[in-house]
Amino acid sequence: MSLQQRNVIKLILVERFGNVIADVGDIIFQNPSSLYTIVKSADIPLSKVKEALSVLIKYNLATFKLNTDAITAIYSLNVKNILLMLRFPKFINLIKAKFDESYEILVEEILLKGCLTASELIIKVTKRLQEQKNVNILLQELKDNFNSLITAKYVMRLSLQSLKVDELFLLPNIDLKEILAVLNGGNDTLPDAGVYWTINSDRFHQDLRDQLIVNSVTNKFDENMGELMRLLLQQMYVRTDPWVSSSNPIPILEVKEIVKKRNTHPQLVAFFEQYVAILEQDVTGIIRKVGEASGGSFQVEMKHIFTQLTWEAVEEIVNEKFDSKASRIFRLVKSRHYIEPEQIQNLVMIPAKEVKRILYMLLEENFLVVNELKRSATSLGPSKSFTLFHIRLTQVIRTMIELCFKTLYNIMMRRCHEKYLNKRLIDKKHRVDTITHGMRAQGISGDSVLDIEEMITPPENEILERIGKMMKKLSLTEIEIDDTMFLLEMYLMYE
Amino acid sequence: MQEEDSGEDNTFNEDSILELAKSKPNGISNNDIKNEIPNVLPEMWTKSVNKLLKAGTLELFKDKGVLLYKYKDPSTKTEVKGSDNEEKVVYKIIEEAGNKGIWIRDIRFKSNLNMTQLNKVLKSLETKKFIKAVKSVAASKKKVYMLYNLEPDSSVTGGAWYQDQDFESEFVDVLNQQCYRFLDGKREAAIKLGGGPLMCRNRSYASAHDVHKFISELGISKVQLSVDDIESILYTVVLDNKAERTVNPSGEYLYRAINPFLKSPGIVRTTCGICPIVDRCADSGLINPKSCKYLTDWLND
Repeated sequence: MSLQQRNVIKLILVERFGNVIADVGDIIFQNPSSLYTIVKSADIPLSKVKEALSVLIKYNLATFKLNTDAITAIYSLNVKNILLMLRFPKFINLIKAKFDESYEILVEEILLKGCLTASELIIKVTKRLQEQKNVNILLQELKDNFNSLITAKYVMRLSLQSLKVDELFLLPNIDLKEILAVLNGGNDTLPDAGVYWTINSDRFHQDLRDQLIVNSVTNKFDENMGELMRLLLQQMYVRTDPWVSSSNPIPILEVKEIVKKRNTHPQLVAFFEQYVAILEQDVTGIIRKVGEASGGSFQVEMKHIFTQLTWEAVEEIVNEKFDSKASRIFRLVKSRHYIEPEQIQNLVMIPAKEVKRILYMLLEENFLVVNELKRSATSLGPSKSFTLFHIRLTQVIRTMIELCFKTLYNIMMRRCHEKYLNKRLIDKKHRVDTITHGMRAQGISGDSVLDIEEMITPPENEILERIGKMMKKLSLTEIEIDDTMFLLEMYLMYE
Repeated sequence: MQEEDSGEDNTFNEDSILELAKSKPNGISNNDIKNEIPNVLPEMWTKSVNKLLKAGTLELFKDKGVLLYKYKDPSTKTEVKGSDNEEKVVYKIIEEAGNKGIWIRDIRFKSNLNMTQLNKVLKSLETKKFIKAVKSVAASKKKVYMLYNLEPDSSVTGGAWYQDQDFESEFVDVLNQQCYRFLDGKREAAIKLGGGPLMCRNRSYASAHDVHKFISELGISKVQLSVDDIESILYTVVLDNKAERTVNPSGEYLYRAINPFLKSPGIVRTTCGICPIVDRCADSGLINPKSCKYLTDWLND
C-alpha cells in the first residue's frame, strides 16, 4: 500500500479498462467505500459507477462486504489480482510451453474474460479455431483439455463462501450436444450455467517458481544438474504440499529410476550419484540429506533456496546500482553480519577513503544500517562507541519492491506518453491497415492497395518502426521487472 | 705480574659472560652467572659486568625483583655523539619502539619534554640521520619516528599494497582479475578433462600456493608477494561472488571459480533501477518519466 503501488494500479486499470474504471478503482484503493461515497467523491454518474464496479467484480479485481450498518455494501479493491494482470503474458507462455496451442487459447480466453462458464469458454474457443479443424473433434478435444487443466489445478471454480475447498476442482458437466446446438444457432440453457471458472494463480506461481529454481541451478551448475533439480521438484509434489518451506524427504532412488527410464541426459545417468553428492555438498544448501535408507532421501529446502536467490539478486542490484566495489563490501557485511568499518577496510582491499564513501552511500540508500554500541561508562578511551554495519534483508527487499513499482510506473507512463505523442500517426497507420485488410478480404489487389499503403510516407514508416521497437522494449522491460518482483515476493512469502 | 693476571682473567670473564648472555636472549641473572662460571670470585665478575654495562654491551633489566642482564648487539648500539641528555632520552624511546615506530605524542608523554623542546630534539636527531619520520598508512597525517636504519613494519607501510602511503587499487584490481582468470582456467581445464562431475569439481580447486606460483611466474608484480597476500586477494574474489572458498582437511583454504545463480535481475536492466536520482523523480517537476533524458537515451539505443 504505497503511492507507487497506487500509481501502477491506476495505470494498469487505465490501459485495460479505461478512465472511468480506473477512477473508481483509485477511490476504492484509497478507501474501501460504499456506492454512495464513490459517486460523491468520483463525480461520475451513478450508472457508470455501477457499471465500473460490476466490471471490476467480474474480473475479480474488487470485492464487497456488508457494512456494519447491515444495509450498504462496502467495496474494496483486490490489489493482488490487479498486479497479477502484468503476469498474464507469462502465464500464457507457460501453458504454451507445457501443453499445446489449444490449451493456450483456453487459458487466454479465461484471462480475457476474468471468469466464465465451461460451456461459454468452449463455444468461444471453438469459434476461434473452427476454421482449422472439424468442429466435432475440436469440441471433444477442448472438453478433454479443459478437464485436464482443472485436474492439474490451473483452473478453478470461482471461490464462493458456500464452496468447500475440495469442491473447487470438481469437473463440470459439459454437454457437447447442447453446445453444438448453441453453435448452430439454438439458445438452450446449458447444464453448467452458473458455474464460473477462473484461473488459479497459485498453481501458475508454483510453476514459475519451479522454473526459476531450475533455471538458477542450470546457470550455476550445468544442464544435467538442472534436469536433476527439475525431477527432484517433480517428485517432491508426490509427498509434499507445494508451498511448505522445506519438503518431505524424497527417496533418491525414485528420481534415479525416472532418469534411467527417460534417458534424456546420458551424463546424468552415468554420474547420477556424483551429481546428487555435488548438489548436496554445495555451500548453497539446496537439498539436505535426511536419511540413509534406500540410497538416501533428501529434502528440498525451498525457503533456503529463495533466501539464497534473493541475496544474490540484491547483491547484483547493488553491483549495478553502484559498482563492483560496493557489492564486494555489501557481501562482506552480509557474511560477517555485524562489522566495523576498520575491519572492512582491511578485508576488501579498497583504499580507506573509498571504503568510507561507499559505506555511507549504501547507508544513505538504505542498503545498510548502522548499529552503535556504547562502551561501558568506566572505560575511558578516545573512541567511546563501536560503529557496526549491518544488513536488514527484509527492509532492503521492501525498498527494492518499492523501487520496482516506481520503475514499473515510469516505464508504463513513458509508454503511454509515447503513444500519446504519436497518436495521430498510430491512428493513421491503423486506418490504413483496416482499409487494406478490407480490400484484400474483398479480393482487390494490385495497384489500388499499394496506393493506399503509400499514404504512409517513408519517414512516417521510419518513425512507426522506431515506436514499435520502443514499445517492444518497454513491454519486455515490464515483464523483466515483474520477474524481479516475483522473486522478491517469493522471499517475503517464505519469510 | 698479578695485575696482568687479573687483567687476563677479566677479559676471560667478560667473554664468557657475553657468551652466556648471548645464549640466553631473555637475559641472565646473577645466579646464572654464579652457576655457569663457578671458578671465578663474585667480586671479579661483578667488576666485569659493570664494565660491560658501562660499555653498553649488556643491558640491565629488573623482572619480578630479579636483576637480569641482557646482551645487546654492539652494532645496533649507536653512540649518540655530541648530543645532550634530552636527545639521548628521546633516542632511547624511539629505539624501544622498534620498526613499528612511535607517535610524537607518545614520545612526549614518555619523555616529559615540552612540545617545542621535543620538536627541536627530533629535528636535530633527524638531521644527524639517527632517526627518520615515516608516514603511517593508518592515518595519513600521522607520522611515526623510528631509527634511521630500520625497515618499517608492514602495519605502518601497509605491506605490498601501498606505495608511498597510497593504496594501489589498480594493482589490486589486476591481481584480482588474474586470480580469477587462473581459477576460471583451472575450472575449464577440469571440464575439458572430463571424468565425471565430482572429478571436475575436485580438479577445479586451487590453493593459495598454486595461485601464488602462477602470479609469481606471470611477473606482473614488482614487489615480492607472499602467499598471505595472495590469500587476501583471493578473498576479494570470493567477495565478488566469482569464487567459493572451502577448507581442506589440513586446514588450508581452497578456492574454486563458480557461476552465479541468476543473470542480472530485470530491475537493473532499466535506467530507473540504477538511476541515482530516482527518489526525486515524480510526475511533475523537472525530473519526470515523460521527458527523462536517461530513458530517452536508453530507448534510442
